[in-house]
Amino acid sequence: MINEERVVLMTKMQFYEENEGKKNVKIGSYFRSDYISFQILKSVISATIAFLIVFALYLLYDFEEFMQNVYKMDLLDFAKNVLIAYGITVVSYGVISYLVYSYRYSRAKKSLKNYYNHLKKLNSLYDDGQS
Amino acid sequence: MGINMSTLLELREKLKVIYSRNDVYIIPVMKFLLAFFVLNFINGNLGYMSKLDDLPVVLIVALLCSFLPNGCIVFFGALFSILHMYALSMEVALVGLCLYLVISLLFFRFSPRDSLVVLLTPMAFSLGIPYVVPMVMGLLGTPASAVSVGCGIVIYYFLSNVTANAQIISAMEAEEAVAKLQLVLNALINNRAMLVIIVAFAVTIVIVYLVRRLPVDHSWTIAILSGSIVDVILLLVGDLMYDTNVSMVSAIIGTLIAILVAKVVEFFKFCVDYNRTENVQFEDDEYYYYVRAIPKMTVATQSKKVKRINAQRRPSGSRSRRAAETSRQADYRREREKNTRYDMGDEVRAEELYDDVGVDDVEEAPLLDESADSEEYMEYDEFAESNGAAEDEVSREEDDFVDYEEPAEEDPSGYGEESEEGSDSYREKGYEDL
Repeated sequence: MINEERVVLMTKMQFYEENEGKKNVKIGSYFRSDYISFQILKSVISATIAFLIVFALYLLYDFEEFMQNVYKMDLLDFAKNVLIAYGITVVSYGVISYLVYSYRYSRAKKSLKNYYNHLKKLNSLYDDGQS
Repeated sequence: MGINMSTLLELREKLKVIYSRNDVYIIPVMKFLLAFFVLNFINGNLGYMSKLDDLPVVLIVALLCSFLPNGCIVFFGALFSILHMYALSMEVALVGLCLYLVISLLFFRFSPRDSLVVLLTPMAFSLGIPYVVPMVMGLLGTPASAVSVGCGIVIYYFLSNVTANAQIISAMEAEEAVAKLQLVLNALINNRAMLVIIVAFAVTIVIVYLVRRLPVDHSWTIAILSGSIVDVILLLVGDLMYDTNVSMVSAIIGTLIAILVAKVVEFFKFCVDYNRTENVQFEDDEYYYYVRAIPKMTVATQSKKVKRINAQRRPSGSRSRRAAETSRQADYRREREKNTRYDMGDEVRAEELYDDVGVDDVEEAPLLDESADSEEYMEYDEFAESNGAAEDEVSREEDDFVDYEEPAEEDPSGYGEESEEGSDSYREKGYEDL
């Protein structure tokens, strides 16, 4: 016999799984630390690539000047400056992504809690049906 | 005016019903039109590669975009613009590619949903309506949209510089690669007008967003007005401080247009946030279920009706009315309510807000009420339109649908008050913790 209540509940849960929940269920399958550190790692990699691109453009932009001065200038000092700039970029970007992703994680968990409540309710409905 | 307003509202409710029931067709068509328009726009403005500036090519790509995700429109827009730049000069295309890469690496990681904004912002600028962008994004987006809008502004300045210098660039010799690069990049480095506009738009977006979420009546209108004032003032201050040559007359006229557009957006905001018809399938141990759930939409014909409902809400008589409902209805309304809590935070807020709405807000009231209530209970539309009689029409056949219909005479007003009480008793049953 079809239990209408169960069908309604399952329909709603399926909505959730297919729409908003899709992402949340995925996030919820990680531990908090795993999720956040994985995301930060991705952020650091993309920040590194972006930095390299910008740096290359910068070199090209000043190409002639750079080539003229390359023997005169203190390369060590130049490298140090570049590294500092790189460090600032990556760290600030990492901090931003830490904030964003820890917020997203807690939001997803909150949303999933309701979903789990529904699961429990559904479970109890099935138990009722059997007894 | 009052009559006009209510006819407009009725019209909107009808549109909403049409939209939510047919969005399977409407959305691809809209995406196709958008992609078609965007690509033609790029071809019209950049058009250096004649192979791309070709109707069949544009049509094919636009058709592709109609069923691919939104990001694809952005991708093809970027691809088209880079190819056009490549036809102009390789160096320019290289800079463009780098710019797009950096933007996608740094910003799309956080908000891939907003990517369309990056495309639409330069278009709004070219069409002469830049001030619409922060207003609309503040109304529909989040403060994070400020970043996307900023990226869009950078892209606009880059592309407009390319088109402005196209003749110079094409006249340059191949050996002058660095000079070309410098020419193109100069538009982005130390461009104060660009910076002023980015800051002004970002602040406007945040302010519009914050004001629109305030729990006061007419918050959207207040948000639009305050946002436009802040925008104009910031542009003025930026102009005075950095001599950016932003024309104040055009800024004010543009802002007035933006206010108009924002009001239209307010009217059609359901397109962003609505209950759509859903087809879902799932199974349990016994059956496969193929469910088609159609959102329940009632056209609020008269705003005064809403007032009456409001008054009925409070007396204890509501208890007996509720008792008359079957427990099943009460139950899934409650759950729907809970669902709403996490699905659509704004709707719940709107509903709570509605309780405080005064008499003179009747015009606004049906909007809030409608959006709040319609989320809460769902109608399982009868496929062969039986009126609530066939409750258990779940077929064991695979291609059948589960259909429900709430009794038609049910008073929709009962739904609103479920919120606190309902979810509490639900909790008492012990479902709440994991």
